[in-house]
Amino acid sequence: MPPKQTKGEYIETDTGNKVSRKSVILGSQNIILGGKTIIQADCTIRGDLRRTVAPSQQSGNVAIAVGRYCFLSRSSVLRPPGRTHQKPVPTYVSPRPPVVQGADQPLLCRTFSYCPMKIGDHVFVGEGSVVEAALIGSYVHIAKDCVIGKFAIIKDCVRIEEGTVIAPNTVIPSFSLVSGRPGVVTDELPETAQEGLECRLPNYLIYNIIYMIAGVQTLTIGVVKNIYRMI
Amino acid sequence: MSPTKPGAPAAPEEDPDESEEEETFDPRAPRSNFSLFPLENLLYCEDCKQIRCPRCVHDEIVCFFCPNCLFEVPSSTVKTDGNRCTRNCFSCPICFASLVVAPTGGGQAGPYILLCNHCLWSSAEMGIEFEKPTSIAAQLAEKLKPPALAKVTSGSFTSPLSPLSASSEGYFPSMGAPTIITPDDEEDKRELSPEERFIKLKAHYAQQKTGAGADEYGGSPGALSRLMGLYSGLGSGSRSRSFGRGIGGFSNMGGKGKLEWAEWDAVKEIGDDGEELVEKIREAGFSRTTSKEQRIAQNHQPRFIQDLKPLAALLRTKRSKRCRACRHILVKPESKPTTIRFRIKLVAMNYIPALSISRLDPTAFNYAALTPLSTHQFLLTITNPLFDPINVTLATPAKTPGSYPSTVTILCPTFEVGANTDVWDEALQTTANPPTTAIKKGRKTGMLIGTVWDLGRNWTTVVIEIVPPLLPLPGELDEDGNELATEDDRLVQVPVSVRVVYETDLERDDGGLGKEAKEKREHTYWSVLGLGRISEKMPTTATEDAAGPSAARPMSLASIAGKGVTGRGGAVEEISGSKVNRHSVR
Repeated sequence: MPPKQTKGEYIETDTGNKVSRKSVILGSQNIILGGKTIIQADCTIRGDLRRTVAPSQQSGNVAIAVGRYCFLSRSSVLRPPGRTHQKPVPTYVSPRPPVVQGADQPLLCRTFSYCPMKIGDHVFVGEGSVVEAALIGSYVHIAKDCVIGKFAIIKDCVRIEEGTVIAPNTVIPSFSLVSGRPGVVTDELPETAQEGLECRLPNYLIYNIIYMIAGVQTLTIGVVKNIYRMI
Repeated sequence: MSPTKPGAPAAPEEDPDESEEEETFDPRAPRSNFSLFPLENLLYCEDCKQIRCPRCVHDEIVCFFCPNCLFEVPSSTVKTDGNRCTRNCFSCPICFASLVVAPTGGGQAGPYILLCNHCLWSSAEMGIEFEKPTSIAAQLAEKLKPPALAKVTSGSFTSPLSPLSASSEGYFPSMGAPTIITPDDEEDKRELSPEERFIKLKAHYAQQKTGAGADEYGGSPGALSRLMGLYSGLGSGSRSRSFGRGIGGFSNMGGKGKLEWAEWDAVKEIGDDGEELVEKIREAGFSRTTSKEQRIAQNHQPRFIQDLKPLAALLRTKRSKRCRACRHILVKPESKPTTIRFRIKLVAMNYIPALSISRLDPTAFNYAALTPLSTHQFLLTITNPLFDPINVTLATPAKTPGSYPSTVTILCPTFEVGANTDVWDEALQTTANPPTTAIKKGRKTGMLIGTVWDLGRNWTTVVIEIVPPLLPLPGELDEDGNELATEDDRLVQVPVSVRVVYETDLERDDGGLGKEAKEKREHTYWSVLGLGRISEKMPTTATEDAAGPSAARPMSLASIAGKGVTGRGGAVEEISGSKVNRHSVR
């Protein structure tokens, strides 16, 4: 089935992703969206920042993998993290980069390369947040105006409060509430965190949104308002 | 949260005929802070048929793990090495972000330092570099080991208790008591750091243990060595002190011993000569002294930033929870640190209906500025998580508790909420015989008393009306100089007593098919609805809620009063129908 050709703001893909026409998506061949993911206007997704490989290995290189039922709010940024690596000098590089010669080490060079970013299911990214994490698990809520530092690892069931700045290389374990600058774990989430952080709407809610004129019913998460705007 | 205010015009009215147990729940009472919980935090005991709040469960540790490297730590290691990660996991002493091991040499070569990626503090600032990037904790412990250790081990061992036990006044030089300390002892005491003193004491006790046995310490030699291990794992005395608020669940262990050490440290620092200290602070300036948070996170409670040491990561736990009354397990997580699955999870969300609030007028998004003295209509939705239809009775006081009561009316206090059946059942039913159209709904007929507004598969919506009072403006003071209306008074919090009655199939242990066996169950609990905030504006302004959708802030705070929760299997009703009517339908 070809993608629906609608005149609206959003392009819908076969797997049900809704991508705003006003979003900036670079290197889309390196981005995987799991399905039912919503990308709002002014989002930036840097799929072009991928691992440096030989030109022959063009295929099968994913820069950003996003799971199902994710929600990227307006003006959020997904950017794969990068750092300098030490590698054996590749043969294809024509101007040879500065070489570090160890005592009995192979010929090494320092190259800057990006690491693929993996995002699980039911991840909400708030307005204006910048995400440079290496891994984000499932059921993660990132509120607005957050910065997730390079190579951060966020496990499942984590809530990050508004304005948090998570330092690079930080690991956040499951069932954590994170806030502050730098972001540190301030509390533990209850056992019901998974249900509370789910981005898929409960069925009665969808029913309400479609058939009711009157108001938003319940707001476990700030999604409903945005969806309301979309419909 | 101030329940009574001096000079407030109206005291919360008390119904004289109400008995103590049936008193309206007051969300502003100081005690309510301890009995109100969000629905997500509540558990449910299937054996007691009661809601269990975090205060009425009993925690049991399933596993310890490091929150940074996510390795599981066996409890035996926790007992011997203490409540900290023994790998490379440290947090910054300045900003508490996690530290990384960074090479300082060319390429990836050493020496290595611990570097904070947030504030750029590094262990080089305290003059510590590491030869190899692994087992940093052991290397750090080695480097922080005081030079006096060599002295101790090389044989110049004097009784470590001599400076301590010479005279008890020696502890408290600031008290000005005449102390008789020999010059040797005095000198000895001055030069010893807490670590050195600890090592000496440890050696002393080890000697005592081998010599005289452990009888005089009130325990077996095994217990003593365990205690010693607890203190000597990586740092010194108070290393298992917790600064992560309440996550460890292990922080109270050995509390008494730690307290003594901390007290001793504090006394020693005061004894460090106040004038000397003031002089040091004057030299360093306030910018180089430690903040309260930085100071209490450290073992030795340093006053200056230069004395801060990297903090080994505190371990976290996964815990199972038991009902305090019947000891049945309510929550049991899987023991692997990284998994989020639970073997048992009995949460109240799956047993008691959820309450949520929205404005009747969908264009009025603003909950933060309710116009005083005008009627505001809200939709109160009750969602049923059970597989049986429930009968709900809502009761609320006509006036909310507090100095400035709002008038509350629930238009339809008694109604039924459908069962939480399969979504497809409804879809199939809707095509054949739509059940919702059969019932008169307020949405179609207009707002009528005793009519629900709308209903669906497992939810019912009723209209709740409030009339907020006119509050004194902020800044208006009474004769005592106190503000007449605080910010708390502006919040509309409505206590609602929710009574749920339903019939369910009797649990059958034998797995028989006795379909006729039905059991009547009942839950009654207080729930507090946060409806919004009363505006400062006078009611004369015609455009109500002019702030628009940009200020939308859902205030669906449906908290459950754990205190008032009662679950009775078919017991006598507590809230009579007449009372409900008196309270809510007028």
